[in-house]
Amino acid sequence: MSYSKEITVSKSGVPKIALVALAAVFVFGLFVVGYDQGHLFSVVFGEQAFADLYIHELTHDMRHAAGFPCH
Amino acid sequence: MKTSLFIAIVLLSGFSAGVIHGLLNLFMVEPFLDTAIGIENKNMFATGEAADTPDFWVEYYSYRAWQKGGQILAGAILGTSVGSLFGVVLAYSRNVLPGNNFVKKTLALALIMWITVYVIPFVKYPANPPTVGDPETIVLRQTLYLAFIAISGFAAVGFYQLYKRIDKKLLAFIGYGAFMTAMFFVMPGNPDPITAPEDLISGFRISSVITVSVFWLAAGLILGVLWQKFNPDKIKQTTPQ
Repeated sequence: MSYSKEITVSKSGVPKIALVALAAVFVFGLFVVGYDQGHLFSVVFGEQAFADLYIHELTHDMRHAAGFPCH
Repeated sequence: MKTSLFIAIVLLSGFSAGVIHGLLNLFMVEPFLDTAIGIENKNMFATGEAADTPDFWVEYYSYRAWQKGGQILAGAILGTSVGSLFGVVLAYSRNVLPGNNFVKKTLALALIMWITVYVIPFVKYPANPPTVGDPETIVLRQTLYLAFIAISGFAAVGFYQLYKRIDKKLLAFIGYGAFMTAMFFVMPGNPDPITAPEDLISGFRISSVITVSVFWLAAGLILGVLWQKFNPDKIKQTTPQ
């Protein structure tokens, strides 16, 4: 007669999909808060986005407070 | 490793630490930003670039409300972003970090990353409030700051590889310190002159350092507690008997 047993094991490998997802979140978030000067919205609103600077204004205070260069 | 659990606790810890950072900024950094923007306004009135009219102040308070409200959202985005990098580095280093539990390990890593990707770049390119910073040099300043963070971060990884291979471990720390000192003098400085009052600049920088430091402490603590509680490394396996 055979039966199965459930055990808990520790696996220390790092899934590549997790690394790719987290790296993407890192790059996107850093760009939004620290670097966007209208670039993201320019995809939809064109050149006007560089004048409106909606994301820049939204992240303006955190940009200064976190140490990123600003205008 | 449970992939979805690992991603979830990394994002949650970064998000939470970011919200704490944003909330703290509202009390600690915003007063300095208001003072600095007040100086900007006076300069604009003096040069005729803007007029001191009721319409100006209506628009001013409208966009300042947008900017202040953005502290929380931007904190959440930045926290999730930096927390993701923290999670990636933790995933690769968790078996070699000092500490007999994950709270100690994540706090140790937070300390290392706080020094290498925040404190050292800050020493070279310290934070500035509004009124400091020429729009014409923004791309250069952003590039220099990001480059210095990358140089410091990758140098830390490189000298860690050396640390693993040599017996005299202290040499790796000395090597990193010497390399970053050289980079400090090689990299161009911030090209913009500081024209704002000294007490405003120093008060702003001290507040900025405190709140960013609290972010790193919170990020390390929260991820450590979550990892300790849920341990994404542990998976259940069914074995035939």
